[in-house]
Amino acid sequence: MTITITPLHPDFAGDVAGIDLTRPLTAAQVAAIEAGMDRYAVLVFHDQHFDDDTQLAFSRNFGELEVSSGAEMSKPEERRLKMEMADISNLDQHNRLRPADDRKRLGALGNRLWHSDASFRAVPAKYSLLSARVVPGKGGNTEFADMRAAYDALDDATKAEIADLITEHSNAYSREQIGYQKVDYGADYQDKLRPVRHRLVRTHPVTGRKSLYLSAHIGTIVGWPVPEARAFIRDLTEHATQPQFRHVHEWKAWDLVIWDNRTTMHRARRYDDLHDVRDLRRSTIRGDGVTVAQIQQAA
Amino acid sequence: MALNIRPVHPVFAGEVTGIDICQPLSRDQVAAIEAGMDRYAVLTFPDQPLTDDQQVVFSANFGELEIPLAAQMAKPEARRFDKLELGDISNFDGKTDNLRARNDSRRMYALANRLWHSDASFRAVGAGYTLLHSRIVPSKGGNTEFADMRAAYDALDDATKAEVENLTTEHSIVFSREQIGFEVKSDDASNVRPVKHPLVVTHPVTGRKSLYLSSHIGGIVGWPVPEARAFIRDLTEHATQPRFVYSHKWRVNEMVMWDNRMVMHRATRFNDLKEQRDLRRTSIKGVGLAVEDATAMAAE
Repeated sequence: MTITITPLHPDFAGDVAGIDLTRPLTAAQVAAIEAGMDRYAVLVFHDQHFDDDTQLAFSRNFGELEVSSGAEMSKPEERRLKMEMADISNLDQHNRLRPADDRKRLGALGNRLWHSDASFRAVPAKYSLLSARVVPGKGGNTEFADMRAAYDALDDATKAEIADLITEHSNAYSREQIGYQKVDYGADYQDKLRPVRHRLVRTHPVTGRKSLYLSAHIGTIVGWPVPEARAFIRDLTEHATQPQFRHVHEWKAWDLVIWDNRTTMHRARRYDDLHDVRDLRRSTIRGDGVTVAQIQQAA
Repeated sequence: MALNIRPVHPVFAGEVTGIDICQPLSRDQVAAIEAGMDRYAVLTFPDQPLTDDQQVVFSANFGELEIPLAAQMAKPEARRFDKLELGDISNFDGKTDNLRARNDSRRMYALANRLWHSDASFRAVGAGYTLLHSRIVPSKGGNTEFADMRAAYDALDDATKAEVENLTTEHSIVFSREQIGFEVKSDDASNVRPVKHPLVVTHPVTGRKSLYLSSHIGGIVGWPVPEARAFIRDLTEHATQPRFVYSHKWRVNEMVMWDNRMVMHRATRFNDLKEQRDLRRTSIKGVGLAVEDATAMAAE
């Protein structure tokens, strides 16, 4: 059976049928998914009954796995999942709901800002693969925005202005925006917060399409005064996340969504996380390399 | 000649003709403008070549004038105008005709005007009307955008209306500047100490409810800060959707006035290192808003 992809949006995002991702794939199947990713940037699969091992095995088809930054910044006894599995849930290591003032809960609220996963790494993420194990009764959608279409829609003057701009990213910048301070990460993890540099405009290695490499993790533009950089990045982000560039995914249990962080941003939406369980698990494929030379040893 | 108001947006904002606001106004004219403000929340008056004195006289028809915080915090020799009541919304370097340099701290401070806000919401009694008059406008950009917080409130679902009904927010000039990475330093702690406001306010004349949102908000009383800020961002995004927004493109010698209790506004980008933009602002202290004893609330 061959896969079929039904577009979910005029520009991007496709719904995939005709494949069981929990079983080993053929090279042709992997190639078909990669081709779909190049075209759609976001692919949605349903009824994929993964456990962590089958999710990681499937993910390895697309490259080297990243270690979760959340896991890296937690003590072993604080982790609920394996190091390669980002814990996108509201549960602690004992599968209990996190209380309102829980430090991890407050840090995770940064996911409600538009971002590209791991843009705070010198070699940032390629694909993210997010598997829904338990979903809340209401809310908790993930929204995606197509940074290729957003780039294409810029006027020529703006395209020229941003062509060679370099931005600085750190996880601390996104959290700072919601008042989660650097000190809240803990003394042991400060080295993970050193800013890294990326190009603001990226070109996809396969399709050759340009896209805006935006993220809530951006704190400044090299050579710009910080307030001017942040005001400009806010304007670009507002442009790039207009409804016409967005696809909203409403989760059902056992959905798997793959997105390309090089060409999309995404964010989580609010839900009643103090009462309702949301257990999503993310594996992440490391990108091919830096987008621009770093000036220092980066996190 | 009778005052006429032409709507310029489906839900709010009107253009006023048939009046010369450079001249002293009759009580009827003032009442007509106030009635227009209650209905439209934003009024524009084209072709009104006001002097500074005339702007102050016109503004005083509507209440007591505020002294802008930037003027309060600036040394006298750094102020561009002699009149303390006149807010300098320009990119000029003090009293000279030079433009502010890229790293000028006044420029950094003013960049936060590109975030959606309600004027002086960082005061225990926020601004009522703001009146902004254009003397020099750039050839491109530098619009002022307005968003109708009454329409935004009305469009909330019932669950959200119930949730926001009794929330109290904390506002400070520090919070808005922090969002763009600018640290506000003030010798007088009372200028930066957070003040509290209800998130939902009721207009004293029309009885309509509106969302009292502002980039100056840094927290919600009783909520963890990150949760409050994420929620305020969501509400702000809702409230500033294109259907609630009127974007005003300035012409020279226009007066635009708005009611900060019913709208948020922001400036849009222009080439401020090369082009001049000289707008002058007066603000009326807000009164009659359904803020329970705002002065007492601020004392914390």
